[in-house]
Amino acid sequence: MALFQETDADPRAAAARLADLLAWFGAIGDLANGDPAGLSTRKAQAAASLARALEVEQPEVDAIFFAAQLHAIGALGNDACRKGEGLPPRLARMERWDIPAQGARIAERIGALPMNCADLIRWQDERWDGTGSPDQLRWTTIPHGAQILALADCFARIEQPEEALAAVSQESGRRFSPEMARSFLLWLHLNGGDPEPTPTPNATLDARKCVPDSILRDIADRIDDHNGVRGRWRRVATIAERVATEIGIDEHGQGTLELACATYGSGELAARDVEESLYDPLARLGIEERARNATLAAQLVERFRALAHLTPILRARAEWFDGTGKPRGLGRDAIPALSQILAVSIAFDALLRNRTAAASSSPDLLATHRLDDASGTQFDPDVVRALIRVAGSLS
Amino acid sequence: MIELGERTRRISPSRLHEILREHDVRSVVDPCMGLPTHLNYLKRHGIAVHGGDLLEWFVRVGEGIVVNDMTVLRDSEVAEIVEMLPGRIYSVDAFKAWEGVFFTEEQCVYLGVWFDNVRNLRSDGQTGLAVLGLWRVFCYWLFKTRFPDDMPDIAPSELAWSYIRETEAWVMSNLQHNTVRQADVLATLTARAADAVYFAPPARNTLRSADARIWMWEAWWHGNPYLTLEHAYRNSLFGPRASDEHAYTHALASVMNAAEAFPLVVVQTTQERLLDVEPALRNARKHVDIRHFGPDEIYLVAKS
Repeated sequence: MALFQETDADPRAAAARLADLLAWFGAIGDLANGDPAGLSTRKAQAAASLARALEVEQPEVDAIFFAAQLHAIGALGNDACRKGEGLPPRLARMERWDIPAQGARIAERIGALPMNCADLIRWQDERWDGTGSPDQLRWTTIPHGAQILALADCFARIEQPEEALAAVSQESGRRFSPEMARSFLLWLHLNGGDPEPTPTPNATLDARKCVPDSILRDIADRIDDHNGVRGRWRRVATIAERVATEIGIDEHGQGTLELACATYGSGELAARDVEESLYDPLARLGIEERARNATLAAQLVERFRALAHLTPILRARAEWFDGTGKPRGLGRDAIPALSQILAVSIAFDALLRNRTAAASSSPDLLATHRLDDASGTQFDPDVVRALIRVAGSLS
Repeated sequence: MIELGERTRRISPSRLHEILREHDVRSVVDPCMGLPTHLNYLKRHGIAVHGGDLLEWFVRVGEGIVVNDMTVLRDSEVAEIVEMLPGRIYSVDAFKAWEGVFFTEEQCVYLGVWFDNVRNLRSDGQTGLAVLGLWRVFCYWLFKTRFPDDMPDIAPSELAWSYIRETEAWVMSNLQHNTVRQADVLATLTARAADAVYFAPPARNTLRSADARIWMWEAWWHGNPYLTLEHAYRNSLFGPRASDEHAYTHALASVMNAAEAFPLVVVQTTQERLLDVEPALRNARKHVDIRHFGPDEIYLVAKS
């Protein structure tokens, strides 16, 4: 089933949707990398402004913008960042050196990005003196755009412009070339630390060269891999689709539901552990954790028009049918139907794969029994009944 | 003021690794390695690496970040490198010839102190790490003469400390036997068998275009500020005789012949030098794939 069902007759609309998807991916990268929320957006704005001030040609400015936005996507699935790896600090540091190159490889596969974008992602962490990563490039072998990204990174991470200036000055000749450090100083004086906003250069994206559906599926796979639950969203989506068909949800609704399945795992990126490893999916103890993850996943999509319609569905997946759930305490019909299906599907998948089910001769029977117990309290009875009807074919 | 030329060749080890991985390469020989940071990258990703170069300081650095699997420097050992130790007699005038021309008096004294301290280290691995870290200080100072107001003044020992510490972060083991040798190209190629040769040929007029930051550090390593590269390249394959086109082509052909036994040859070049290099490779190998990542980064991938 197509995740994005609108027709792509209008290339501008297709490019805008792709831009939204990439911005969301950038935000996901921030989370996976342990960066503060919104860093990729701030970095993209600063980098584009700095590049324009340095009279960089417009196509290169656009490439710099997207490279800044996607700066941390390589962290998704990197061994140092992935849940459950627990590497020693020295090894973790080395693994982190590969994040830019991993990001570049992902960007190369997104054919729609401007030409130099993947290179800029690859070399954004290089340092002028040759001590950067991954390639230890030095001096003029580091592209101009990559140095702009490094300066923008420094600016975006520090709240006070004066402190950013001090940090850049201290690193002149080491992280940054002396000429670039001087340019940064002039830029900062010109805009007073408040760069002029840059609209996303959608027109640069060649939406014909990629399929948003496959990008989203790839991102969702990476999220699951990062969270240590490989293939989970696909299993949950299969369950959800059967239940939705059983209940009579139309095709558009089913597409939205699949999108929700592909995106809900993003909420767990900031957490130390995935919720299913901490709590039984039916335990009241796990409500706080589930609600926190649900809220974060919702916050991540709400800013982007192409994904914003998922916000209420993702946010409400930790609500309980009896109104005792979180974050808002919604009950019964106030919970979107697709949220109810998503919640039941996630719980069923977790129940099928937990230790008790693994030891059982009929895990699906065990799981449906347990879901039936939660019917009317945690879950909508209609959805649970639908799941029980299709459970045999799912296992 | 010293001329610090723009570097025109980019070697991206992460890209090189991607190419080698496509061909399932598990060991590689680089007979003209230069500063072996790219070999360090390949080593970190599990490939057994064997490098060679004519310049001794490159080989020393290789001992630090390529051969060395576990030796790092403790704080007390870094302190013994970066500072003048009481009771030790130093050749503080050893680099006086550079004073006022390239460096300040204080910097020249430190170059002499470091020269002595590095020679008193206990292992080749530590020496290599120190040589690389101090070279970065040396480069910093050279840039500082060009941009005196744009780079912060940092005390020599403090700068050296931070660079040596940074350098040793790259030490790791890949559970393979990795080697470096001070030898000419052909000697390195015949000394080792591997799945692939990686070769970044020097430019035709290599002596004329040599980077001051490279040959001056070789001079430092030898404790002789008057040393030039001619001594190292004299009688070498890509030495003075390879300045003319015919001799250069002949030298490249010799390398390709010597690399015949290797299943894969990867040659790094630039757009400007492509016409010098490509024919020699096509003469030696049937299948040559050109991976063009930009005018300053081209890889020719040749299979038998």
